[in-house]
Amino acid sequence: MNDFNHGMDPTSGPESLDDALQNPYEPELGSLPASNRDEESVNKTGTTTVGIATENGVVIGTDRRASLGGRFVSNKNVQKVEQIHPTGALTLVGSVGGAQSFIRSLRAEVNLYEARRGEDISIPALATLAGNFARGGPFFAINPILGGVDEDGSHVFSIDPAGGVMEDDYTVTGSGLTVAYGTLESLYEDDLTIEEARTVAAEAVNAAAERDTGSGNGIHITEVTDEGVEIEAYEFDDLL
Amino acid sequence: MQGNAQQQAYDRGITIFSPDGRLYQVEYAREAVKRGTASVGIRTADGVVLAADTRVRSPLLERDSVEKLHKVDDHIGIASAGHVADARQLIDFARRNAQVNQLRYEEPIGVESLTKDITDQIQQYTQTGGARPFGVALIVGGIENGEPRLFETDPSGTPYEWKALAVGGGREDLIDFFEEEYEEGLDLDAGIDLALRGIAEINDGDLDAEGVTLGTVDVETERFRRHDDDEIETYLSEIDLGGDDE
Repeated sequence: MNDFNHGMDPTSGPESLDDALQNPYEPELGSLPASNRDEESVNKTGTTTVGIATENGVVIGTDRRASLGGRFVSNKNVQKVEQIHPTGALTLVGSVGGAQSFIRSLRAEVNLYEARRGEDISIPALATLAGNFARGGPFFAINPILGGVDEDGSHVFSIDPAGGVMEDDYTVTGSGLTVAYGTLESLYEDDLTIEEARTVAAEAVNAAAERDTGSGNGIHITEVTDEGVEIEAYEFDDLL
Repeated sequence: MQGNAQQQAYDRGITIFSPDGRLYQVEYAREAVKRGTASVGIRTADGVVLAADTRVRSPLLERDSVEKLHKVDDHIGIASAGHVADARQLIDFARRNAQVNQLRYEEPIGVESLTKDITDQIQQYTQTGGARPFGVALIVGGIENGEPRLFETDPSGTPYEWKALAVGGGREDLIDFFEEEYEEGLDLDAGIDLALRGIAEINDGDLDAEGVTLGTVDVETERFRRHDDDEIETYLSEIDLGGDDE
């Protein structure tokens, strides 16, 4: 008889019942990394990344230079944009390690969301989640752009290191942002096609590459449409 | 006697299967649900209807203190049958989960997701030593992506989706009744009528506004709304209830 009475002492609580509520500021899988690193030796992207929303999709332009402290070019062929959603991509801006782990966490969340609910997370929901992780975890030192397409159309969000999330028709982040914005302000129009937006993005990143020491070495152009995400590497001369 | 003692053993441990593969405590919890008065849910083309049989045992009891219909989030309501105290725990869990989804994604939680969060919580209480299963069944109704959705949770922690259902006492009769009377493409008013007629059916054809609680979530507003006695009175008189009939 006693064998069957395990855990049946009414004065003792259940063995392992926890409240299954999710912490909204942390990934469900894995944990956010600890902070406090030697900032001098950390690879930074420096970077200029541009996102433009058009009627039929989002165009993202990212330069290809990684640098140490903005003074030494540590890599001349970095892809600073990654697909994180069937129809969404995120740029890497700031600490390379921070951005890469951020992307891994978001991909896992996107996959889990789809597996559980049978539909992809919307881009605004993904932006909120990304903002929460940036806000709730250690200081990632990242400032990415999220571009994506969902049933409501094209979205471009910038996410700042403290978790600020802002949507716009076009946005720029990275050390070359002032130069790129100058170009965008003169070239951006409301009704750009994807093809035109590619050229505008390339012009903006190219202008930044000319003047910002943290940006350069060519460009990746990413097209996000309801079909998916396509990323291709170019030299500026190929496009302009 | 020996057999009896053995059976008792399987009876007690919630985490222990009987030799024929049953979890007696979960089955007893289902019995507890049947002891409660019925709650019903109807899915219609333009919203979901939740209604609960809330006749009170004494005129001294304040009706509003009988909690069987609960707002969980703007767009989701839950009707319960069985142990009210157990229901309250799950309702609060559901309310917090709905807000966590809002915090996490800045989106209202889906009815299906919420139901499965609740059933996963219920299931934990069928597999953990020292715990007792929830003696309550819930009807989760709301709007998701513009579509009405209606789910049931039972004490085993299994989610089911229904077009029309009942939980609690009289469930079998009510489901028989709905199988006869339910039609695809009902509008919300017809759904309310069906829910009220169902509850009247198991009360010998008699029902007044004080004996029922009614709530709806329609696709237009996507808001859970509780209907007051006057409104219920109107619905009842439209279907010739609220007095002697048939």
